[in-house]
Amino acid sequence: MIEFVPSEITDLPLRDIDLGTVFFILYVLVIAYLLVKAVAYILKRIAERPGQRRMVFTMLIPLTRLIIYVSALYLILQAIFNPTVSEIVALAVIFGAAVGFGLKDIFADILGGIVISFERPYQIGDKISAKGHYGEVVDIGLRATRILTPDDTLVSIPNVAVFSEATASSNAGKTEMMVVVDLFIDHGNDPELAMAILKDAVVTSKYVYVSPTCPFTILLEDFPFYKRVRAKAYVNDLRYEFEFRSEVTRRTWREFRQQGIAPPRLSAIPPDEQASD
Amino acid sequence: MAEEGGADAPSAVLFRAEIARVHEAVSAYTGESPSHIAVIAEPFAGQQVMMEQITRYYPHRVTHLPFYSVARNTDFLDTMRRTEEIVLMERCHFLALRRVGGFAMLDAFLDFLSMSEKLFITGWNAFTWSYLNAVVGIEKNFPIVIRLPRIDDETLKAMILSRYDHPIRFVDDTPVQEKKRVSIQQRLVSVPFLDAPVQIPWIAVDTENTGSGRGDAGDAVFNRINNLAQGNYGVALRIWERSIEENTVLMSRIPALPCTVSLTIDEAFLLTIILSMESISSADLEAIAHPEIDLALVLYRLRIQGLVEEERGYYQVKPEALHCVSAYLKKIRMVW
Repeated sequence: MIEFVPSEITDLPLRDIDLGTVFFILYVLVIAYLLVKAVAYILKRIAERPGQRRMVFTMLIPLTRLIIYVSALYLILQAIFNPTVSEIVALAVIFGAAVGFGLKDIFADILGGIVISFERPYQIGDKISAKGHYGEVVDIGLRATRILTPDDTLVSIPNVAVFSEATASSNAGKTEMMVVVDLFIDHGNDPELAMAILKDAVVTSKYVYVSPTCPFTILLEDFPFYKRVRAKAYVNDLRYEFEFRSEVTRRTWREFRQQGIAPPRLSAIPPDEQASD
Repeated sequence: MAEEGGADAPSAVLFRAEIARVHEAVSAYTGESPSHIAVIAEPFAGQQVMMEQITRYYPHRVTHLPFYSVARNTDFLDTMRRTEEIVLMERCHFLALRRVGGFAMLDAFLDFLSMSEKLFITGWNAFTWSYLNAVVGIEKNFPIVIRLPRIDDETLKAMILSRYDHPIRFVDDTPVQEKKRVSIQQRLVSVPFLDAPVQIPWIAVDTENTGSGRGDAGDAVFNRINNLAQGNYGVALRIWERSIEENTVLMSRIPALPCTVSLTIDEAFLLTIILSMESISSADLEAIAHPEIDLALVLYRLRIQGLVEEERGYYQVKPEALHCVSAYLKKIRMVW
């Protein structure tokens, strides 16, 4: 095995690893860890202050984390080897071999983390769908991205997923996010009245945000056993996504009842369609 | 320019350019396809003063129709049919209520407007206008939109002093301030392996005493008040009233306006409504809040935070809290 290792590595001026070096490495690791936590905490606190500019600050978190950890790694290498440029290249070769032999998944995740930091397909605070999970990104680590699902479950998604699978971001770094509200009514109802009520419920919601770039739409579609009235509108803060949907649904149905607009009659829907609902 | 009436009141110094635009539109009005006018202003910004001036200019051509509360039926349309050729409508934000079915009166008014041969001069709250523009595109109905600007220190001084027939004493009793000045200087830096030092730009902070030449105390007082009020006449007036004592205004007595707001979504929403309607009754608030929001609790919370005040059952944002409230609501995107 040793004949495959470049001579630059076998000749590395490995320093004596004494207790002082071990303490130094531990010191660097602890400081890097605390620094990462402190910077993330401060940036998150700052991010909460300007409201709609929240995402500008949160996107800096993974980037600063990467810079701190890479700097810490460099200091540790300096302490152990004090390598020259050619030795760093040689180390990279060994590193590549190690990746090839067994650590490829971990390094693929780390590489994914670096790509996420720079390319930003999503950032902390975004609502994303990845690997069958949907939720708010609460942390982008070097190895995994953590998302908080609507039912308060923390899901870790390996960063390598960014290479292999489609990742959907609902808001793409913005505070506002489109929400779709579907309501189903019986064919016998006045669809225009239903659309007008849904429109009012949407635009008077306490969660709505309307602007030239964030318009709202009310749509009607016929299905064999019911009509679907659909609203597409932006919630002013993606954290209120579900509250917005629930509030609009609740207020619309309250008005529907007052105006005599009824839901689809179950007798009109075939049993197999009822089961699928 | 004015064809009728006059404008001798002290308030005539306010909004001269804006009133000139109204005169222009009135002069161009021939009875066919009138270019309706929307006058947009922040709460307390002096819209009423401007409307009064317009009424004074055209006493025989204008019918003044202000709204005092939310329009519940279309009776106001019948009144409009019996008016002079120019209809001046104040507080038109009372035509819409932010609830399901709350736009019916506004729709009826806009329909009437589009078919009428009368010229409508309408006054709107700036926050309601932005909302209605986003939601119903109201600007399309008004070819002329006039936004009332911030007033300057001189105008504010003239307006406020015109309320008194005796002199007011001004005292600038604040400590002399040290003014910091930031400048960019060049600094020589020695760089390893280079023979000559390198010149790099360097930010320097100079501290200098600027207290020797104080200006007129009255000007300084009005400058301070106007800065706090951000050019809003009503807010400035409230600050003035809190600053004057026994015909004397001490600079140190001008109150600072601290701004710390922390609200739930329900509180922020009802505060948005109060801000957008300028003054709204608890019954109208209840029509919006019921049954989703506990109105009594929210109003109590808004009052104890010093954000709103109540007068004879009507709620309004405290003038001195106006900019704090609007900045907070803009930040959380409740007003746009």
